[in-house]
Amino acid sequence: MKAIESIPDSQLLLFKSCMVGQEYPGVETSTRYVFDRIGVDYCINDEQSCCTGIGHYTDIFEGLTTIAIAARNFAVARRCGYPNITCLCSTCYAINKEACEVLNTNTEVRERINAIFREQGLENLVYEKDDMNPRTNFYHAVEILLSKVNEIKKQKKFDFSGTKAAAHHACHYYKVKYLDVLGNPENPQLIDTIAAVCGADPVRWYEDRTLTCGMGFSQLHLNKDTSLQVTKTKLDSLQKAGVELMIHMCPNCHIQYDRYQPVIEEEFDVKYDMVHMNIAQFVALSMGADPYKVCGFQTHSVPLEEFLEIHGII
Amino acid sequence: MIQYVNEYDTPECNTLAETAKKSIRTPASLGLDRCIQCGACTASCPAARFTDYSPRQIVKKVLENDRSVLESEMIWSCFYCYSCNLRCPRNNSPVTIVQVLRQIAVNNGIGVEKLVYFLEIGEYLAENGASKVPGAGIKNMERDLGERWIRIKKNLESTRVELGLSSRDVRNTHGEVQAILEATGYFEREKWVKAKIQEKGSHQLLKNKCIKNENKSGDFGFESDREYPGQPAFTI
Repeated sequence: MKAIESIPDSQLLLFKSCMVGQEYPGVETSTRYVFDRIGVDYCINDEQSCCTGIGHYTDIFEGLTTIAIAARNFAVARRCGYPNITCLCSTCYAINKEACEVLNTNTEVRERINAIFREQGLENLVYEKDDMNPRTNFYHAVEILLSKVNEIKKQKKFDFSGTKAAAHHACHYYKVKYLDVLGNPENPQLIDTIAAVCGADPVRWYEDRTLTCGMGFSQLHLNKDTSLQVTKTKLDSLQKAGVELMIHMCPNCHIQYDRYQPVIEEEFDVKYDMVHMNIAQFVALSMGADPYKVCGFQTHSVPLEEFLEIHGII
Repeated sequence: MIQYVNEYDTPECNTLAETAKKSIRTPASLGLDRCIQCGACTASCPAARFTDYSPRQIVKKVLENDRSVLESEMIWSCFYCYSCNLRCPRNNSPVTIVQVLRQIAVNNGIGVEKLVYFLEIGEYLAENGASKVPGAGIKNMERDLGERWIRIKKNLESTRVELGLSSRDVRNTHGEVQAILEATGYFEREKWVKAKIQEKGSHQLLKNKCIKNENKSGDFGFESDREYPGQPAFTI
């Protein structure tokens, strides 16, 4: 288990996420808004590429390519002096952490990748064993937020008292490297704890809390019926629990719930009362951020206007 | 049939179990041999809940070196959610074993048509340094998500600017990603997969799959849990 005291607040490379950039750019700006105000030293580097997660988990990328791309991103992080890779997406987190483990422990793969770098004239990307540590160089942005809840509390402007909120912790954060989670991977509470600091009333347990979002990489596209059935199961459970706000930490889950909630409502003839946002958007909002100029709620499929009006934000 | 060689994901071994253990897709500490067929994986599995998919059965087939598992549609139902990876009391990881099985299947030309949909992800990544939902996926999303989403996407660049971001998510990879993809053999494999798909004439096949959204799980001659004869009773 990770210790909360071990979470760094400096030299963080805020790892850009393709799905955040293309679907919910407000997640990136909200994270930056909060980091800027709670004393986090971070940078964003445009040289960083996609982690390959989408291609890796749709089976088109082989492991060697994925790990080589990761090694390149590690070189980018080290070169700019921000070696603590901090992800907005849980799949980037898992892919990078696993790639680092293989690079450190599998000499054959490491040497093959370094040989490729040298052949291509990319000596500056060469990865030496233990250049990065899979346990201490990789974080999810939600871990940084949790380590700074006292700062968040001090700077809170809006109080979300009485907001019934539920967390969806992302599978690739707590089920891939399950020994390296802040808290118990059978019942992660990171989002709940942060939301409670902002005044929300978190539903700490609900039926099917650890069920996946249903996106399943190729599944949403190849087996859409099953994919949406899985998503519906959790939405049904949240509706039963009277939840008004579902809080996410991964753009893939966020797409699945926010974009597909209206689709499920139509296809299954049901109606849901909850809205969706990322935990960084929720924290930014409670610290006084503009819902459209910082949080970017205009890119959401389930409209948030009613929620924002009820809570006196707009 | 000519096989594609993918020495790190699917190292050549005598049995499926050995390949799975040696593959870089599975954890180095994979507890495959320690599997006690308890079914915690299947009990935790979202695909098992809604289809006949069974990670426990798949692990059993792998341990028995039953290569018919490669032909099974079942291996294409996994969500890669890693619930089985978390819950297995013996440190086994059905989810990563299934990743290896899919790779072996593809190397043998089985199920290549499942990849058609996603092939452009690699080319886009090489060119732009980022990934995106492939074109066919965008079409499906446009159909499912309708006007509101199309408007959101049309306004994306101006929204990003309003948020203080660059209008597009720019990645300056200096051609390094392209060079890496070429040198690791990614494009060579992509070419091989495309040729295989053409050989199988699966373009039509894919079209049917994506548009009809048929549920394909469950009709593949796997013994179901109910039919499993079990062990003879031990009597004193």
